[in-house]
Formats: sequence, C-alpha cells, structure tokens
Amino acid sequence: MKFIVSSQLLVRNLQSLFGVINPSNTLPILDNFLFSVGKDTLTVSASDLETSMTTTLQITSKDEGVVAIPARILLDLLKSFPDTPITFSVNTDTKAVRLTSEYGEYNVAGLKGEDFPKAPEVAGASSITVPSDVLARAIAKTVFATGNDDLRPVMSGVYFELKEDGLSFVATDAHKLVKYSCSDFKAEHGASFIMPKKPLNQLKNVLANEELDVTVTYNDTNASFSFGEVQLTCRLIEGRYPNYEAVIPKENPNVLTINRQAFLGSVKRVSYFSNKTTHQVKLKIAGSELQVSAEDPDFSNNADERLTCSFKGNDMTIGFNSRFLVEMLANLDTDEVILEMSEPNRAGILTPAESPIESEHVLMLVMPVMIND
Amino acid sequence: MKSIIHIDLDSFFVSCERLLDNRLNGRPVLIGGTSDRGVVASCSYEARAFGIHSAMPMKMARQLCPEAVVIRGNSGTYSKFSDMVTDIVKEDSPLFEKSSIDEFYIDATGMDRFFGCYKWGQELRQRIIRETGLPISFALSTSKTVAKVGTGEAKPNNHREIPQGTEKPFLAPLSIKRIPMVGDQTYRLLRSMGVEKVKTVQEMPIELLERVMGKNGTSLWKKAQGIDNTPVEPWHERKSISIERTFENDTSDMVKLESIIRAMAENLAYQLRNGSRLTACVSVRIRYSDFQTHSRQLRIPYTASDHVLIDTAIALFRQLFDRRVLLRLVGVRFSHLVGGGEQMSLFDESGPLLQLYNAMDRMRNRFGQDAVKRAVAMGSKGIGHSGNPFDGQPVVIPAHRRA
Repeated sequence: MKFIVSSQLLVRNLQSLFGVINPSNTLPILDNFLFSVGKDTLTVSASDLETSMTTTLQITSKDEGVVAIPARILLDLLKSFPDTPITFSVNTDTKAVRLTSEYGEYNVAGLKGEDFPKAPEVAGASSITVPSDVLARAIAKTVFATGNDDLRPVMSGVYFELKEDGLSFVATDAHKLVKYSCSDFKAEHGASFIMPKKPLNQLKNVLANEELDVTVTYNDTNASFSFGEVQLTCRLIEGRYPNYEAVIPKENPNVLTINRQAFLGSVKRVSYFSNKTTHQVKLKIAGSELQVSAEDPDFSNNADERLTCSFKGNDMTIGFNSRFLVEMLANLDTDEVILEMSEPNRAGILTPAESPIESEHVLMLVMPVMIND
Repeated sequence: MKSIIHIDLDSFFVSCERLLDNRLNGRPVLIGGTSDRGVVASCSYEARAFGIHSAMPMKMARQLCPEAVVIRGNSGTYSKFSDMVTDIVKEDSPLFEKSSIDEFYIDATGMDRFFGCYKWGQELRQRIIRETGLPISFALSTSKTVAKVGTGEAKPNNHREIPQGTEKPFLAPLSIKRIPMVGDQTYRLLRSMGVEKVKTVQEMPIELLERVMGKNGTSLWKKAQGIDNTPVEPWHERKSISIERTFENDTSDMVKLESIIRAMAENLAYQLRNGSRLTACVSVRIRYSDFQTHSRQLRIPYTASDHVLIDTAIALFRQLFDRRVLLRLVGVRFSHLVGGGEQMSLFDESGPLLQLYNAMDRMRNRFGQDAVKRAVAMGSKGIGHSGNPFDGQPVVIPAHRRA
C-alpha cells in the first residue's frame, strides 16, 4: 500500500488528534494513529477507548488498506519538516512502514489496523446543530468549574441540558458552580447528558479556530460531535447529575456591584499572602467600601486592600477560597460584575452586570469558607 | 559558643502533691494510674530506694513497696504549678523552650556579661524555689544534649556546670542510657554490640554506627561527642492531635467501642475548631489484648466537621477491627493540620451544620467540654479535654496515663 501526502496538511490534522491519546496506555495499539486509506482519501483516528476522534483529508493514493502507525515518533518527524510531500509505503504483510521524503528514508514498525478499537456507533440517537463558536464558548465558560473527585464522577463532567426553550451547560465541583445558558438554540425534545472533561477540552482546542456548524448526536451512552471533516465520539458519564437548581439561593438581599478587573486584581494580590493550602480571603463590605484581606500566621504574612463598590444591603463579612474567585472572575468578560449574597454561610452568586451577547446568560455560584471572628 | 541551660523540676508531680499536703514529706509516694493497668508517672526519691522507677506498672511498684502512698494525680493542678514556673522563666530569660510539663531549655547566650551564666542560672533557680517551693535542678553547658545529661547527673535539687571543652570527658564515663535519644531498643542494640559507656561510642568510627543505625547512628555519635546544634525552640507547632484510651478490662463490645471512637473524634474536632485548624488525615489505632497493634489512616479533603470526621473514624475502625480478639486500647489521631476555615459545600448541609458546631463549641467553652455532645457518646465521659491545643505549649500527658 502506498500513498502521498503533504507534511504540513498531515501535521495539522495529526496535532489536533494527538490530544486524545493518553500518555501511557495499557493497550499498546492506543499509542498509534489508525490510518485508513481509501481512493484519494485518508482517514486518521486516535482513541483512548473513552473518546475517539477521526479526521478525513484528501491525498493521492491508488491502494486501499488500514495500518496503525506509532503516533509520537510520526508526529515528531513530521513537525520537523518544512512543507514537503511524504510518501508512505506499507508492507501489507509485515506492516512495516517506510516514509520517504526529499531528505531521506525512515522506517517504523506499524501494527495491524484491524486490531484498532472501533469508535462506538451512536445508535437510536437524537441530534442538534450548534455553531462552533457557541459551543466553544459554552465549553470555555464551564469546563474550568468541573471537579476532580474520583468518588463523584458525575461532577468531573459538564452537564448538557437541551431543552425546548434553550440549551444550558452546567459544571460544579460541589464548591463552585457555573451555569451557561443560551436561548438562541432550541432542542426538539428535552434531553440531558454528562460529557467528560477530556473530550470537551479537546473540542475546545479544535473549535477555537473554526467557523462551522457542529452536529451533536447523542443517545443514553454516547455522544458524537461532527464538524467539517472531523468527528469526535465519546462515552458519556453515567449517573444522575445533582439537583443544582435547588442550591441556587433565591433570596439575596445583599448585592455588591464592582469593577471586575479591579476586584480580580485585588483578590489576586491579596491571595499571595493567604494560607498556601486553604487560599482563604476575607471580604468585608461596609457602606460602599469593600475590604479584601488575607493572612497566614505561620509566616506572619498578611495583606489588606480597599476598593470602592456599590452595595445594597446589610454590612457583612464573608470568607472565600481566593482560587475560586480568581478563576471565576477571570472567566467573565464584562467590565462590571454583581455578587449577590445572603448569609456568610450561604452561596454567593456572581453574574456579569450586563450581557455581552444578548441571548446568553452566565450564573456562577461559590460557597464561602467558615471564618471565625 | 552557646550557653544552654536545662532545668528540670525534681519528681515534679510528687513535689506538687507535697506542697498541697505536707504529710507526704519524707514518705514514699507513687503517682500514676491506680488501676491494675496503671503505670507509675512519677515517684518520690524515697520510693526509688525500693527499686521503683517511672513507667513501671503500678501493680509491680505496690508489690515492691506496699507502704507507699498512691495518688491518682490531677494534671490540672500540675499544669498550674508548671505555669507558675513558666511565668518566672519567661520573665527572666531571653529565649526559652518548654519541652515538657517539668522541663525547660534556656538559651542564656549573652547573659554572661557580669558574673557568668552559671551564676545567673543559680539566681534563677533560687528564685523559682523561693516563689514556688518546688525543688529544681539545672545544668549549664554548650548544647541541649549535654545540658540535659548534666541535669540528670546534678539531681536531686542541685546544679552543675559542664564548661566548654569538658563535654567529652564529662560524657565519657556515663552509661549510654543517659544520652536522651537512647531508648530501650537502642540501648539493647548497643549493649548487644558490647557498648556500655559513652566513651566506647566516642571512640567508635562514625561509619560503623551509621551502618548499624542509619541516620540515627550519625546523630547518636555526634551527641556522644557533645555535638548538638539543635536550637532552643520557643514554639512547638502541633503536627497532630490525638486521643487514646486503654480499657480497665479488655473488650469487644462494639456498641461501647464505637461510642468511644465517636466521642474521641467529636472532641478532637472540637479542639480543631477551637484552634481554627482543619485536618486532612484521620487515623485510628487499636491494640489487641495480645499487644498486636494496628493502625489505618485515610486522607480526606480539609475539614473540621464532626459528621465527616466521626464517620471517617468509624469506617476506619470497622475496617481495622477484624480479629476475634478483645481490644485493650483504641485511639484516634488527626494530622496534616492547616490553619483556616472550612470550605462549605453546595450539595450538603455544611453551612447550617457548621453554624450548629459553632454554637455547640460556645456552650462547651462556657460550661465545660461535657456540656453538650452526641447522645451516643454520653456514656464515654472524660474523653479528651477542652482548650486550645495549638498554643505552642508542649503536649501535657495526663498524670495517670503516662505510658
């Protein structure tokens, strides 16, 4: 089997696939890209058993066949070439792969393509089409808030809630929660599923530079994202997502409105002086002044900043993990943000003061830390 | 060169009891657990004449000296006397470390301007004797190790100086047991090598000790030479807090055992919150009646919440207790401590629960540690104690429980 392909074109496609491959695999064939050659087309796949991604490109070939080629060495080699045609010749019996460039010749041992695990078919599925920028934004807004707790796998993914009146994407690690809703796109039938974090990050990277329509196909166990020549299929996280609506506090008499950059800067600077394990900062709001402070008695460190803000409600003192505040504030993109609170032991609600996109709605929840006065 | 003074209150618990009741003067006195399981925590010099020493089982001590007065002891009283001494030391000395309830190290470097550190130490000793009435011994030397060994040699109720340059000859004729880091095990190991006096260790090559004992060998060899650079530390940072209990009678009564574990975890959680600390590691230790000791630990997210800590401790205990043998001891320990407040969770009742715990803590602080507790732990009285264990003071081991 023989085919010719441009090194630059191949590298671009392989790089976006490479993120799927785990650094260490129990199944050696998963360290490979699967090359399926058809007449003048090449389909390359990568898989980690949970997620598989496939992309198709145009090449010059007469033969047909499949072979698995070690991913790392191939990608490293191709990356070092300027744009140049590469000829792949595969011995159909031994699966030995010979690459020929204008500089020389490289040999690598391939594996039988038939052994490569197949991506699951998403059977009996529903589907919805969303523009890539909307999907990429939804992922970027939520995926950072997912958890890492192996004991609560449902929280390690993003909850896709497709409803007749819009789509929403929810992520939480039990300490913070983000809900991103978008009312422009509607699903025909209500459905919901939990997408694992890894394929979402992969999608986020691939979608960043594209302007395409993404077709999302899903059933109870799998979901598949197709756009352009690329298809990504993954297994969904099983289990019931926590009832997040119930934990959003309804009565929040204390409302703080503040410049986002100023608040973020303050929390960042002050957090360097907080305890290195708990990252605890204290917000004290009195009148129209917000005081941000932190201390680490073990090293005699402390910091204290004052900001002007507009505040409606009763003066209060509340503690937060500064890392959560920083992540959330950095993820918003408006000038002003609103922090709504009720009690020092109830969740605070962080929202952008105005919406940069009419149809989108972002809501962030953060649980405080107990402070002893 | 540093000037380190080690001061030690002679048979401290007995001295305290004698101040309270002068009929004890001149009589053999034993303080410690009064049950059959108890051990001698402190004994008077009169009792030592009968061959009794601290850490000896109380039963054996009573057989050796039936006429001795046995007192259960009250650690609260001893702490008060100890604090009186601490106040005097704090007032007079530039830098001190309270290493236990009855021992202090003072870094007296620079106090030799006029009459020398030794003279200064004697004045301090006289002041403590005058103001508290407690007998006290001290030694002055150039390192903590030599000063401590010196105090041991000076006792009872006396003082001693080991000037710079004479540390090695001073240590040479002593038994290796006098070096602070040599416990029963090391002593046996060294004796099996034919080492009896410090002199032999001084003459051994350091590599030999290192081969036998590893890192400890190097440190032991240095101490034997009188080399010890450890500084006087004025603050003891607690790395863990724990409660243990040995039973009067071995038991396998699960209801009783679990209620004790719960009481222990509940009290330790209260202590954590009092010191604004969180723990990330719970361990449970059990000892069977045949002295086999097992422990098991679990890393958890940082917390100081009763419900998490009690459930974790109980789960560990259930995993651990798998032999059909009676237990003689159970204990709970929290480690990986960090200062700060607890992160509340969205999906459980942690906010209101933390408020409840705070309210309970306030009641305990005001009316004593047994003022409010879980009903299941009601039967287990006197487990744990109140107060803040993170005050930089050394751990106070209750008088009747020193093992």
